[in-house]
Amino acid sequence: MEQQDHSAMEHQQVFKKLSVNGEPHSVGFSVHHSLLEVLREQMQLTGTKHGCELGECGTCTVLIDGQPVLSCLELAVECEGREITTVEGMMIGNDLHPLQEAFADLGAAQCGYCTPGILMTAKALLEENPAPTRDEVVSALAGNLCRCTGYHKILEGIDWAAAKMRGDEDFRPPREAIYGDPLPGEEPSDA
Amino acid sequence: MPKEIQIKVGFGDQFRDLTVRIQDDDVKPWQPGDRLNLIGQSTPRVDAVAKVTGTANYSYDQKPKGMIYGKILRSPHGNADIVSIDIDKAKKLPGVRAILTAPEIFEDESARYAGAEVAAVAADTEMQAEAALRAIEVEYDIKPHCVTVEDARKEGAPQVGRGEQVNVARISPRQRRGRRGSNSDMDERLARQEAAVGKVIQDSDVVVEGEFSTQVQTHAPLETHGSVCSWEDGRLICWASSQATFGFRNELTSNWGGVRAKSCQILSEYVGGGFGSKFSAGREGVLGALLAKEAGVPVHLMLDRSGEQLSAGNRPDSLQQMKMGVNKDGVIQGTRIRSWGTPGTGTGGAGAHNDGIYNIGEVDKIEYGVRTNTGGAKAHRAPGWPQGAFALEQMMDMAADEIGMDRVEFRKKNDEHPIRKVEYDIAKDRIKWNRSLTRNGGAEICQGLGIASNLWFSAGGGGASALVRITKDGQVEVRNGAQDIGTGTRTVMGMVVAEELGLEMNQVATRIGNTDDPQGPASGGSTTIGTVTPAARLAAFHAKKELMEIVADRKGWDASELDLKDQEVWRIGEGSTGMTFESACALMDDDAIEVLKGRPRRNYEGFSDTNAGVQAAHVEVNQATGAVKVLKVVAVADAGKILNPLTSESQVRGGVIQGVSFALFERRIMDRQKGRMLNDDFENYKMLGSMDCPEIDVVLLDVYNGKSNTQVMGLGEPPIVATAAAVANAVSDALGVRMYDLPITPKKVLEAIAKRDAAKEVPAQKKGERL
Ligand code: FES
Ligand code: FES
Repeated sequence: MEQQDHSAMEHQQVFKKLSVNGEPHSVGFSVHHSLLEVLREQMQLTGTKHGCELGECGTCTVLIDGQPVLSCLELAVECEGREITTVEGMMIGNDLHPLQEAFADLGAAQCGYCTPGILMTAKALLEENPAPTRDEVVSALAGNLCRCTGYHKILEGIDWAAAKMRGDEDFRPPREAIYGDPLPGEEPSDA
Repeated sequence: MPKEIQIKVGFGDQFRDLTVRIQDDDVKPWQPGDRLNLIGQSTPRVDAVAKVTGTANYSYDQKPKGMIYGKILRSPHGNADIVSIDIDKAKKLPGVRAILTAPEIFEDESARYAGAEVAAVAADTEMQAEAALRAIEVEYDIKPHCVTVEDARKEGAPQVGRGEQVNVARISPRQRRGRRGSNSDMDERLARQEAAVGKVIQDSDVVVEGEFSTQVQTHAPLETHGSVCSWEDGRLICWASSQATFGFRNELTSNWGGVRAKSCQILSEYVGGGFGSKFSAGREGVLGALLAKEAGVPVHLMLDRSGEQLSAGNRPDSLQQMKMGVNKDGVIQGTRIRSWGTPGTGTGGAGAHNDGIYNIGEVDKIEYGVRTNTGGAKAHRAPGWPQGAFALEQMMDMAADEIGMDRVEFRKKNDEHPIRKVEYDIAKDRIKWNRSLTRNGGAEICQGLGIASNLWFSAGGGGASALVRITKDGQVEVRNGAQDIGTGTRTVMGMVVAEELGLEMNQVATRIGNTDDPQGPASGGSTTIGTVTPAARLAAFHAKKELMEIVADRKGWDASELDLKDQEVWRIGEGSTGMTFESACALMDDDAIEVLKGRPRRNYEGFSDTNAGVQAAHVEVNQATGAVKVLKVVAVADAGKILNPLTSESQVRGGVIQGVSFALFERRIMDRQKGRMLNDDFENYKMLGSMDCPEIDVVLLDVYNGKSNTQVMGLGEPPIVATAAAVANAVSDALGVRMYDLPITPKKVLEAIAKRDAAKEVPAQKKGERL
């Protein structure tokens, strides 16, 4: 019985208008599908990653109306009329978003699997709080796991991008963020 | 014919001249003072833009035309044999295209841990596949189980394995089989060794001892294991989340599980982490390939998080009993070690490297592997080392304290590594070793410092070739079929070629993660970079030579006087000829120069065969709550020549956080009654997150080690060896009581404090005699 119910659900297709990255899309999908599945399967937006489907890792983070949301826990049917942003919609014209640029330059993406989710979380943070403290950045990222990088380059990337977005031209990430920590004998400096 | 060359090896202010014999077509290692444009400069990853824009395609993201979904049914029982599997109902469900059963594929009726593969289904949708899994009827013969080393070692414990398999086996020195008499010879030898080392220890000025344990840690890469498989005319194409593309391919073309693909291409352009767990195709890889064959359409079979936690590998646990005899002058005389660990249902691969790093005198070490009904271990970032270092480094501190010697001085006394000797002082300096802190539980919030060492062996070796192509219109590409699991191999391979050809980074295209390209190594043992880059440099060097010959021929110059620098043709010792790289390429008659070169098989004599490394941790412990916060880790690391500080540093930071996470948080929790892992998710399997991350001060030493033409060593594993040990030492320093058991949870801290305070009240307490 139970199995038949499930497969019946599979055929219960709905058509919805989803607004993704500023463009309206008419998408058909099964009613029970999560936003993550619809983005990845129906819309080929595979930049949003699948890490657990349990709401525990943050790799699937997207923005809905500017707020970071775990798309694996969000039903796609409930997203009509809301503005969805994914990593594919982050570039500004042909230019990288300052966050993307800083992440790339500082090596904040190692294997890169957590990166799209972290970028979305960071984007939401900076839109709400253009000059977050380190503590604020760290707690905003509490729901995004990264197994590779050690987080520092991510935090420094966010600081740098925030400064760029504020128009703070003088801001420079700490020297060691770009060149590595000073070697023995070298003077640590912020130059 | 090898040729002899003179090189300088060393680091810092310690250089010496060395004559080495290198392969006749090889190129001289870079020398101190060489003018290098890219090597040694922090260079962003070549694939960084793909990663930050979401265009990097991982296995999970693949969707070949007509693709359907595979799922695996796992045994819920701690220990069982599969009596029968009825797939009739499942077969008839909508969308189901193929069903396979594990006993049939792997010729193994046993399901010896909760999570063992029982069957696999491919269906049009994920939900249909799940429905089919539920409709499969399995009859199990359920057997009693043991899921902990403690349970499996007990007298009369249920048998974990089958047939003659005993629960506990001596793995080092290995129990010999089949040769009559040899076991009793060995037993005699071990008894003699025990007596002799026992006497050495007894005769030492002081004796310290302890029993240490570490937990099972899962690899937990964010991209799970699995693949997307597609058959095209008998050829298998497999997008695999793999850290060994060629190994994966060889498994699928062998007859393991009956795949026997006539030919097979593995594609692993982007891999979401591996940490040692993704060497093999695994049962999921075999099932994916066979489901796709049977269904006749591509199949996406990536594990879910639970499957990943249950069956995709882990770092085995350990129980280590150590006893050490030390003289007052600080020299270790002898060490007795007994250790146990469980690699799952087998016995091999659960050793703890607690006798490396330092000179620990005469050693009497016996190691046992213990079968348990748990998911199997896999190589995990420095297999055996973090757990061994934890026990060893606690002992080092205990011994130093006992003889009243500074903990660093004591280590130096028993350490001959030329690089580490320097690294101690850097670590001491950066962590401010001699600062005053509220140690020894002196206040509710107390702090402490700890130090520990790394050791690794990663100069690489044969087993890789690289193809360099320079086209007539000046395009350059380098290819190697190995994978980049986030370590930076692709970037560094490109850097080496660009450096050799005097080009900028963006002028060299790199291709990696495709078994149709030249042979490459597994990303393992930190040997990838030391294996791939010498091949890439050699291929680039010879491609350059060919190009210079063409130029010389056309211009009437002498090819041996020409080189490429700053994107121009240079006359060695004089400067640019004014000819650009592009115009040099345009002189080719053919469309391209293509050079394929294998890595020189052997490493040359050099400065040091091993990586060293020292780490120091600064922690804060709240004695009211038991919470530990790691404030800072100083990680001094060396890895031969540092080609790209950015990716090297990233590896060190990654190793350190996994080490801190191992020290404080992660552990597989088994339900002893039900025989099942309780935390097969990220909610209850606690890993270090952004809020737990300490400040990490990375110091990289640039060592001209001379062992290959790029003289680089890998840096994946070394930085994880010392971290947990240093953190544990720092916690003990803060509390004034030793920590014997990882992870150091608040509960264990509070218990240790209670024990410490109770001991203060009964000062004349006798030491336990456990060994
Ligand atoms: S996939 Fe959504 S939180 Fe992990
Ligand atoms: S870069 Fe690999 S998980 Fe973050």
